[in-house]
Amino acid sequence: MSLFSLKNVTFKNLIHYSSLTIHENKTTFICGKSGSGKSTLLKLLNATISPEEGEILYQGKSINEYDTIALRRDVMLVAQNVYLFDTTIRNNFEEFYSYRGLLAPSEEVMNLFLNICLADFPLTNNCRDMSGGERQRIYIAICLSFHPKVLMLDEPTSALDEATAVSLLQNLKQYCNEHGITLIAITHDKTLAKSYGDEYISLDSEVSCE
Amino acid sequence: MSNVIVLNLWQFGAIYLLLLLVLAIMKKCKINQTKLLVIGSIRMTLQLILAGLVLTYIFKNPHPIFVLLYLTAMMAMSVHTVLSRNKGINRNFQIIVALSLILTGLFVILFFILGVVGVSFFNPQYTIPISGMIMGNAMTGVSLGLKTFHENLKTQKPKIDTLLNMGATPKSILLPFVNKSLETALLPTLNSMLGMGIISLPGMMTGQILSGTLPTTAILYQIAIMIAITSVVCLAVFCSLYLGYRTLYNAKNQMLL
Repeated sequence: MSLFSLKNVTFKNLIHYSSLTIHENKTTFICGKSGSGKSTLLKLLNATISPEEGEILYQGKSINEYDTIALRRDVMLVAQNVYLFDTTIRNNFEEFYSYRGLLAPSEEVMNLFLNICLADFPLTNNCRDMSGGERQRIYIAICLSFHPKVLMLDEPTSALDEATAVSLLQNLKQYCNEHGITLIAITHDKTLAKSYGDEYISLDSEVSCE
Repeated sequence: MSNVIVLNLWQFGAIYLLLLLVLAIMKKCKINQTKLLVIGSIRMTLQLILAGLVLTYIFKNPHPIFVLLYLTAMMAMSVHTVLSRNKGINRNFQIIVALSLILTGLFVILFFILGVVGVSFFNPQYTIPISGMIMGNAMTGVSLGLKTFHENLKTQKPKIDTLLNMGATPKSILLPFVNKSLETALLPTLNSMLGMGIISLPGMMTGQILSGTLPTTAILYQIAIMIAITSVVCLAVFCSLYLGYRTLYNAKNQMLL
């Protein structure tokens, strides 16, 4: 079943997506050259930006008809430059949950999601002292713990070595499959995309950039 | 207490010698603001001479229209100064800042003149200098608050984007920035209150004592004006930022930064 579909979508008269469909409960990888509109596509899908022309449908309904806050809670985006508070992992869970008006989950739940994302550090570790890759995995774990319907990852493996990247994608794909979460990921690594993706979209052919 | 020493031109000119020290330090420390110091000193001198002449005329020929004109010019200038120091803000935010500055300033001035001093609003001897102090401090406070708010939003862009992507509302994301900026804008005024009377004898009180007013009378005015300044800074910055931050996102909860 189609989850997202885009028809003749134009952003700032620079990027044009002629026709694009992303299916529900699948792992879809998006590839393309730099500037081909990969990150822009994810921002359009969670409505943090709007197209000048064209229509984006989510679950068969125009994205404009959704409450954008509710949509972003369903369709979570992990951008390339993730932000973590300069405090412990536990406090980061608490901070992000408080922004959503929720109480943080138990330590057991936190550790479960950190394990899935290969970020099984003690909860008392300070995120300020961590590498970019570690921070990104912790952030993905926090996002996953919110139980979104769609998880969109912008280059989740760019700061990881090959073995960690493969393990992370395997874990995420398995968890998302088991819990009915649609996974959309941007990557430059076509081999990785074809090995782990159920579907593969190359923006080089789908999109024209002016 | 009424033997005021009137400064002659040589005595008055001597104070400018101190600026040479400032210039020397700026040169040694390679602070490239000597032009600003010179222009600032000249502008200040000319503006105050002009103000002195205008006020002398107004005090000799008091009329409500002069008070209104002076207040209008004061408010227009303070709005212009704040907006020219904070060019990055959008049109609606600018309108909110201008209205906040004018309305909160006017409210505190009216409260002070009518409610505390109990003289006519059109009495130039009270309304003009008190309004000047209130509007001058409101201007500095709003300018500092806006600058802090704007710079924090710029440096914290990844935080804002991350929270937005996570489904946080723009209100919950931006309000902590507003609160922090309000605190920053208030701190100089609050700190100056702490040292007042011991470390510093403020301008208004000094002026009154020099002109022959009893120190016990002067402190009452000084205390009143300090409370009025704290209130106007708090109100003006609060209104500017609490109403202004809403112009930074649209109905689709997209940031317009």
